Amino acid sequence: MSEIKVHSSEYRPPPPDRPPSGTRSPGVWVRQNLFNTWYNSLFTLILVPAIGYVVYRAIRFVLVTARWEIVEVNLTNLMVGTFPRSELWRPWAAVAILALVIGLGLGVTARANVEAARIRGIELTTSWQQNARRAAPALLLVAALVTFVRTATPLILLAATVVLAVAGYLVGRRIPPHRRRWMHLAVITGLLGSYVVVTQFDGVSLDRWGGLMLTVFLAIGGIAMAFPVGVLIALGRRSTLPAIRLVSVVYIELIRGMPLIALLFMGWLILPFMLPVGFPTPGRTWRVVIILLLFTAAYVAEIVRGGLQSIPRGQYEAAQALGLPPWKTMRLIILPQALRNVIPAMVGQFISLFKDTSLVLIVGLTDLLAVARRVTQQPEFLGQGLHAETLLFVSFIYWVGSYWMSRESQRLETRLGLGER
Amino acid sequence: MRRRTLLLPVLIPPILMLAACTGGDDGGADDPGLPDDDLVEDIDAGPADDDENATDETPTDGTLAQVRSRGVLNCGINGQVPGFGFVTPEGTYEGFDVEFCQVVAAAVLGDADAVEYIELTAEARLTALQAREIDVLIRNTTWTALRDGAENVSFATTTFYDGQGMMVRTDDGFSSIADMQDTVVCTLSGTTTELNLESAFSAHGVDYEPLTFEDNDTLREAFLTDRCDGWTSDKSQLAAFKAEWPTDEGGPDALVVLDETMSKEPLSPATLDGDVEWFDTVNWAVIATIQAWEFGIDSTNVDEFLAVDPEENPDVARFLGIDDFNPGLGLDADFAVDILQQVGNYQEIYERTVGPDTALGLEPELNNLWTEGGLLYAPPYR
Repeated sequence: MSEIKVHSSEYRPPPPDRPPSGTRSPGVWVRQNLFNTWYNSLFTLILVPAIGYVVYRAIRFVLVTARWEIVEVNLTNLMVGTFPRSELWRPWAAVAILALVIGLGLGVTARANVEAARIRGIELTTSWQQNARRAAPALLLVAALVTFVRTATPLILLAATVVLAVAGYLVGRRIPPHRRRWMHLAVITGLLGSYVVVTQFDGVSLDRWGGLMLTVFLAIGGIAMAFPVGVLIALGRRSTLPAIRLVSVVYIELIRGMPLIALLFMGWLILPFMLPVGFPTPGRTWRVVIILLLFTAAYVAEIVRGGLQSIPRGQYEAAQALGLPPWKTMRLIILPQALRNVIPAMVGQFISLFKDTSLVLIVGLTDLLAVARRVTQQPEFLGQGLHAETLLFVSFIYWVGSYWMSRESQRLETRLGLGER
Repeated sequence: MRRRTLLLPVLIPPILMLAACTGGDDGGADDPGLPDDDLVEDIDAGPADDDENATDETPTDGTLAQVRSRGVLNCGINGQVPGFGFVTPEGTYEGFDVEFCQVVAAAVLGDADAVEYIELTAEARLTALQAREIDVLIRNTTWTALRDGAENVSFATTTFYDGQGMMVRTDDGFSSIADMQDTVVCTLSGTTTELNLESAFSAHGVDYEPLTFEDNDTLREAFLTDRCDGWTSDKSQLAAFKAEWPTDEGGPDALVVLDETMSKEPLSPATLDGDVEWFDTVNWAVIATIQAWEFGIDSTNVDEFLAVDPEENPDVARFLGIDDFNPGLGLDADFAVDILQQVGNYQEIYERTVGPDTALGLEPELNNLWTEGGLLYAPPYR
């Protein structure tokens, strides 16, 4: 019905008529918005200097007073922790593989969108401003990292990675529609390959990962696995079979009733006791990933259940009338709509998981935040109160990640026409 | 198109999970990321030696056997204590406690680098030991009766004798706690330091006001802004902050650590109760570093000592395993040679990490040989 709206973000209707602009000079704007009543004038007079002062101090700190050498010296630490330096080519190879497949995926999607729009008679063009806005978080992160890099090698490798991503994108745009199916396989292979290249073939055990690399792995691992498990549990809770329903309800209520820290501790210390004798205990990091997965899945399940409940009965009945079996009804009719409705809540949960990964420092893993806390104890930086610098840097990385997820979810929402019907 | 894009995210996770399972098995079965050649040797050497000394009953599921078959020592440390355990910009662990992890690894596995360091918080450290997540805990842990008893851990020979001290500004002219009438003393909250402070001051009948902080960096800021007259903590910690005192505030000379010691803090390696064999191993690995200092053997001259005549110098010959003396500690006869060649004796470790020439600049005081007025005293190796 609303097929055209699906791509409405790329199709830009002519801008609506602006209010006559000539009458609103800056002075008028200020008077109308900041000094329109006596109390608003008062607020303005108090808040503008206060905010201005805070912003001035913040900028002054970042650009003048901050001693960023602690971040410069420890940049590798912050990125990979105590990962053996002789094996650093492995994470770089993983990043290169990821850049290639992500570029490929974006290229294929871009072309598919253009073609889908063309079928409906719309010539789809993406302005460079749109692309730039989309890439802004990633560019910000790269810019921040480049500022702190002190040698040439990482810059060259970073440039090579960007070239790979662009190459992947261009190749992706040339893939004809009937080959597209294989691209999904390529993307999955790339994701697995990036993990394999680091850990296998005399690689480095997951337990020796650290820094940003560990944080990203925990977040992606947790999100990617919690999503399908959560959907299954949500379906289980709405199942007509009492046993499955009971198990799902107990699971959700049990997990949601416990703090994540308690769960992490249990997974770390108690899980090995509960496994059958002779069963190999998973490594520390995998135990943490499993706990993050179990924890997030319970919340995702409730979010998805909310989405399922928003689908009117008529949809089920219509699907039945078409002769669709229950699982096809679910997969083709109900789930796509239900999941679309809960994107904001779901992404909120994932952003929260991304930041919750910093709790793993209590179970002996050294994620990004843990590295930031301990580099201030190095003899050359000891007792100089450099926490502000390291914490600011780490917060910036967390912010970029969260902001990026938030932006992409908004894009997805508009693309799927959420809130438009 | 829409359907296909929705399928993709649903497809990836199961495959990732599959990878998760295989990855997890790998992590448990073997430990990649270590020098393989050395490992193979160690694994081969371990059980073979046990067979030779078949007179001792060696339980196969003891920690010692586990460490040998694993080929790597899981050592619990603190990654945030200046001088004792921290991460260098090169991504390696360094410090006093870290070097004793290496001492144990060198003794048991013959390879000081075969250590997996696990950073632990103060709350998690003993639990991690009880859960066998680590083999030995060398994380500035004070040997106390409660820990020895109720917490089911055994403490080996003390590696560092610390004590709670008081740091004041030189200008204030305090020479002892008795002078500090009506002062503000800053300390960390929730530590035994608070209790020791109270008993020390009430013993002198001196009134004071405690001011507690969550971490050392905020405490330092408070001291910098004159909010406190005294700063109490372990003397090793105070020394670290004194050494780094900013020069525009007068540098290290602006502060003085009072001579008084308010508490005894013997920092010792800890193992789990009930595994005497493993405890002996760790204990004698530590003792060997002290014994070597007594003998005057260090990493630079150990090779010369290997040439001593057993008739002439039987003590050294036994210690270095030249005459294959084996006291049945579960260690190779030449374990001390591995320790000395790869790490060094106690004095070397001390001077490298916390001694007078380091950032901490700690004088040995109690951490000196018994012949020099310290407390380090190795039982005879015979």
